[in-house]
Amino acid sequence: MQTDGAYVIASFFSYYNIVFLLDALVATLLLSLFGCVIGAIAGFMLAISRRSTSLPFLPLRIAAGLFVETFRRVPFLVTLMLIFFIFQFVRLDVSLFIVALASVCLIATAYITEIIRSGLESVHRNQWDAAIAMNLSAAQTLAYVIIPQAWKVVLPPVFSFFILFIKDTALASQIGVVELTYAGKVLNDKGFPASLVFGTILVLYFVLSYPLTRLGAWMEATLAPSRSR
Amino acid sequence: MTYTLQYGQITGYVPYLVGGAWISLQIAFLAFCGGMVIGLFGAMARTFGSSTIARLVRWYVVFITNTPQLVQIYLIFFALPDLGIVFSPYQAVLIGMTINAGAYLTEIQRAGFLSVHRSELEAAETLGMSRMQSVRYVILPHIIRVLFPPLSNQYIMMTLGTSMAAIFGVEELTGRAFNVNATTFRSIEIFSLTALIYVAITFLATVALALAGRFLVRARMRVL
Repeated sequence: MQTDGAYVIASFFSYYNIVFLLDALVATLLLSLFGCVIGAIAGFMLAISRRSTSLPFLPLRIAAGLFVETFRRVPFLVTLMLIFFIFQFVRLDVSLFIVALASVCLIATAYITEIIRSGLESVHRNQWDAAIAMNLSAAQTLAYVIIPQAWKVVLPPVFSFFILFIKDTALASQIGVVELTYAGKVLNDKGFPASLVFGTILVLYFVLSYPLTRLGAWMEATLAPSRSR
Repeated sequence: MTYTLQYGQITGYVPYLVGGAWISLQIAFLAFCGGMVIGLFGAMARTFGSSTIARLVRWYVVFITNTPQLVQIYLIFFALPDLGIVFSPYQAVLIGMTINAGAYLTEIQRAGFLSVHRSELEAAETLGMSRMQSVRYVILPHIIRVLFPPLSNQYIMMTLGTSMAAIFGVEELTGRAFNVNATTFRSIEIFSLTALIYVAITFLATVALALAGRFLVRARMRVL
């Protein structure tokens, strides 16, 4: 098949293809954004429960530990398949985007729990002791002493995890979620040359991810807590 | 609505899956070794190279780390044949993972190079060490201690990353899980079993690496 290169490129960047790709780009962004926001909230709770020392919380603590250690050691593709088939068997009729989002949330929760936990641990022991000495309750300790100090440590790695996950969501194409990689597969199946299609897809991921990486680096530089204690 | 888990039907496939896990480990190991070599040269080029080479390596790292590995392998597997370069799925995945790992490992090793203080080198010189001696007794022990934890972390991440080889039809652990799924239709059982095998192999690798790190290079690592 001998086609004029300029013609192929012109027809590839047609209005509808560009809209299709931009929609897919937004889906990719939303998938990782929602996943990480929900993951951060759930991860925060799990991290706190993993730190708790009181006996009634012990089962919760063990469950949280097991959850984290399991889902950090399972590839995203396998989690995705598992969630996909579980949704299918319980006859939960939701869109594929929700299925992918559920798996993203699970994985993000597991990773972010660890990040937040190490953030909480970065606050010096004396601060916890001082809070007890001041007769602060556990909730007060977290709200007035620990979180104001820990969030600066936690935010940069959580953000870089979010950027990392933008790239991992490419695997969601395997169950048919229309995100960037899937859009690439569709266009490739339509007969556009693979180099053009996947080259464009790579560039789009780059355009999405690189500014965020710079933002993350800036965040890390500005939030870097003073090491003097 | 009710679904009965039936692991009985798939127990026969366990050796088949474990064999797949072995292939996963091979891919991860080979790609890691290749990535280490690329990363070593890349880190040296960025630290000691001329500004042109350093900039080229920087752009390689920035581009690879900001794009998904899956699409990179797609490009190698589907686009290169247009130029007459055809790889088998296994080769394409291995090359893609190596190039990808090279970028991440460049960054990690560069951080290790930067962590060596000038004063350490000056101290070695004051003690009358030759260039080789200061590399052998001062720089290397220091770098290995600093680098061991992030490198072993990267290795674990790569073991999980090998699962995308299944998409290209490589019969490693996830690929074999897809096969068994296609024959038995016991999807939930087969993928939960696969997940369990991944947990087991990465857990063993973590413990082994943490022990090695603690006792061989005295890195500060948590075993559990």
